[in-house]
Amino acid sequence: SADTLKLSHVRPQGATIDKELHTFADNVSEATSGDVQIKLFPASALGDYTTVQERVSFGAIDMAVQPPATAADRRMQISVFPYLAGSWEQAHAIYGPGGIIRDTMAKLYDDQDIVMLAAYPVYFGGISLNVNNPHPASLEPNGIKVRVPAIKSFQLTGEALGYIPSPIPFSEAFTAVQTGVVNGIIGSGAEGYYASFRDVTKTYIPANTHFEVWYMLISRDVFSGLSQEDQNAMKEQAAAFEATRWETAAEDQKANEALLAKQGTQVVELSDEELAAMSKKVRAEVWPAILDDIGHDWAEPILDEVRQAEK
Amino acid sequence: MDRFAKYLLTALICLVALGQFVQVLTRYVFQVPLMGLEETMLYPTLWLYILGAVNASRENSHIRANVLEIFIKTRRGHTLLAITGEVISLIVALWLLFWAWDYTRYAWRVWRESPTLYIPTFYSDVALLAGLVLMVLYTLWHLLRHVQSLREGEPS
Amino acid sequence: MIEVAMIAIAILVITLSLGVPLPYCFGAALMVMTLIGGVTMKGMMLWGFGQLANPVLLAIPLFVLAGTIMSQSGIAASLLRFINVFIGHIRGGLGVVAAVSCAVIGAISGSGLTGIAAIGPLLIPEMEKRGYPREYATALIANSSILGLLIPPSVTMIVYGWVTDTSILACFLATLGPGLMIMVSFSVINLIMSRKFNLVLDEKPSFSELSSEVAKRGFNAFPALLMPIIILGGIYGGIMTPTEAAAVSVIYAIPVGFLIYKGLKWDNFFHAGKEAATAVGAIMLMILFSMILSQMFVYESIPQQLVNGIFSITENKILLLILINILLFLVGMVVNDITAIILIAPLLLPLMNAIGVSPVQFAAIMGVNTAMGGVTPPYASILYLGARIGNVKVTKVIPPAMKLILFGYVPVVFLTSLWPDLSLFLPRLFGYDVSP
Ligand code: NA
Ligand code: NA
Repeated sequence: SADTLKLSHVRPQGATIDKELHTFADNVSEATSGDVQIKLFPASALGDYTTVQERVSFGAIDMAVQPPATAADRRMQISVFPYLAGSWEQAHAIYGPGGIIRDTMAKLYDDQDIVMLAAYPVYFGGISLNVNNPHPASLEPNGIKVRVPAIKSFQLTGEALGYIPSPIPFSEAFTAVQTGVVNGIIGSGAEGYYASFRDVTKTYIPANTHFEVWYMLISRDVFSGLSQEDQNAMKEQAAAFEATRWETAAEDQKANEALLAKQGTQVVELSDEELAAMSKKVRAEVWPAILDDIGHDWAEPILDEVRQAEK
Repeated sequence: MDRFAKYLLTALICLVALGQFVQVLTRYVFQVPLMGLEETMLYPTLWLYILGAVNASRENSHIRANVLEIFIKTRRGHTLLAITGEVISLIVALWLLFWAWDYTRYAWRVWRESPTLYIPTFYSDVALLAGLVLMVLYTLWHLLRHVQSLREGEPS
Repeated sequence: MIEVAMIAIAILVITLSLGVPLPYCFGAALMVMTLIGGVTMKGMMLWGFGQLANPVLLAIPLFVLAGTIMSQSGIAASLLRFINVFIGHIRGGLGVVAAVSCAVIGAISGSGLTGIAAIGPLLIPEMEKRGYPREYATALIANSSILGLLIPPSVTMIVYGWVTDTSILACFLATLGPGLMIMVSFSVINLIMSRKFNLVLDEKPSFSELSSEVAKRGFNAFPALLMPIIILGGIYGGIMTPTEAAAVSVIYAIPVGFLIYKGLKWDNFFHAGKEAATAVGAIMLMILFSMILSQMFVYESIPQQLVNGIFSITENKILLLILINILLFLVGMVVNDITAIILIAPLLLPLMNAIGVSPVQFAAIMGVNTAMGGVTPPYASILYLGARIGNVKVTKVIPPAMKLILFGYVPVVFLTSLWPDLSLFLPRLFGYDVSP
């Protein structure tokens, strides 16, 4: 009998990820001779990623492609550690197949009865402002209020880069920027800002704050309920889905920056030295604070491997 | 009991109002980042909602549509209708209670934490179970009251 | 699956009519979906409770509390006296004062109950003394009280923006146009009806009397008039989010009520706190279970099936909008405004997308229809509260209320649906995205 799996993702219908997932769903259907059908629920229709991850963990939702939620396990913040990767090559080395962060995350998901099928590189994060920032590379306090997601590492990163972070719920973020309750946002990247905040993005600073990666998740109960052949077919298709994305992600990010520029956003250019200075400050100030929370003993070996990959 | 409900609920609602007010002050007047207030306020907020609902059960002031009541003329008829309503409420509330229990067990097992201060969210999660237990008890109490008034032939 | 959804809705309506508390009616519908339809309840409590944690919703209890404090504190009375200087002396003027005062109070309160609760006890006896029939005065103020939901801020628009992911500030502005239009139409109807009444009028004041009264009462009303400026100015001026504005209005109303207007005492302050928390608790529990029901519908793709089903009948936009208004009228007869929005908005939004109606216009359509539900029997919470405050029988209030609804409300409801600019003009002016 055919199983129809419900897959939740966070972007609207027609977005790049939505199209790629449609292709993935078609390929899975074909590879399993129609045994496994996947139905997409775009735009977080099944709830925000935090509750979706928990519902995947006990099989109430079958699959999801989304950022990791840290509520159930604070160690998952390792995936969004600021300035973990400085380039696409480094990102591929740590988040791609066999990478240390990816393997670590797979283990953490496994603790929650979730099988990670693929990593989906999205973009390097940046800063969107509805005002001008005359010194975008400065690390001094600049008095600009920004909305940050309710994740500690983002709040500390915002502060380290000189901004005043303010936790405003995502549903109110757009309005808050538009009216000036805050002057900008940290926590997303060119694609996210273009999709949801382009009307209020005067300045875009590609500060590479973090590497945004989503994971393709499937409930372990659901996955082990499939035949061995179907499981293998899904793994293969997921790997293909990921491989394609690693090839196109960098281009996609450039395209989204171009889209922002085209509609009048000033896209700031930062030199390698400026980026390195930001990275150095954030790593020095933010990393130790987060390590206090998630455990030095657990995290240090992982970060050592990350540093290895940089060479 | 009424006094207790008055003080507790007013204190909770004023506390959350104050929390939001401080948020505006720190951001707009003092221009400093304030971490963790938002997530801290969540606990009194959720307890406020649930205890407010419990108090509505206690006072029997939940929103009801009562369309049929308009067509029923006798007191006995009204009491019978009220009993039907309370029996249905009790069945539904018990079923919901089962799922609240299921949720609480999950919350206990996973022990989630708030994003920056890592306060266990269990302390707000458990409000749902506590609330439904109390609401089931109050529904039962109203039901017994109606049944008794039916026996005695008095309006309830 | 759509059949099971229908059964669930039927059970919802049946339990409602039996007088089961609203949250349990939704619980009964959930039982149908789970026990007959096989939709999992696993994780639903987790999801629903998580939804309640959204700070956006916190604006509801805070706006309700601010409204309750206001009606206790004497703030409303000073507003009323101020507005009365200008219009009180013309024939039928006191009825116009009722409509306008409710609109002004609407700019402070987010709820539809504040108007009747705050000015009903003062104005109903006064209107009766001047020759208006008591049941008419009650009906007029209860109907005008709804303006609290249409003049921003508004709890229904907060809920709409929240469930449909639309800008709450744009939604606030969307119902403002229709709200003002209703205020005007009530005033006109009142002036016409007043000709039949045998009214006692104030003497027309001389200019010097008028200006000294304006100054005196204006000074007295100043702290009250400052409140909408703080709330709306704060929200649209980029100082605070709607939730924060609701909190600020509470923090502002407490000292003003205690120290300036002095109507607020410890006793009624605690009473107001309890009343607001209880009203909101009942609403939140209902929101929790209706959100879960709505989520089950999404889970089973009911909205899309519904759109396909409706399109198989007709694709004519105007006909569809008229049908939707009739549907919303029927829904408004039996459920409360917020519930109607949670249940209906996600179901119909895909349809609105398909026929090219902007989510912001749909906000106004939902807003005026569900607000009207507060005064349409059999379940007419605002009208019933009015009858209790005015001390008249519900059956006596219904005929004049129906006249006002039919001639004052219904035309605006249809205009809102068929004339997009009525609701979209202001949001567009303020730079909000109103595209379909
Ligand atoms: Na209002
Ligand atoms: Na109604």
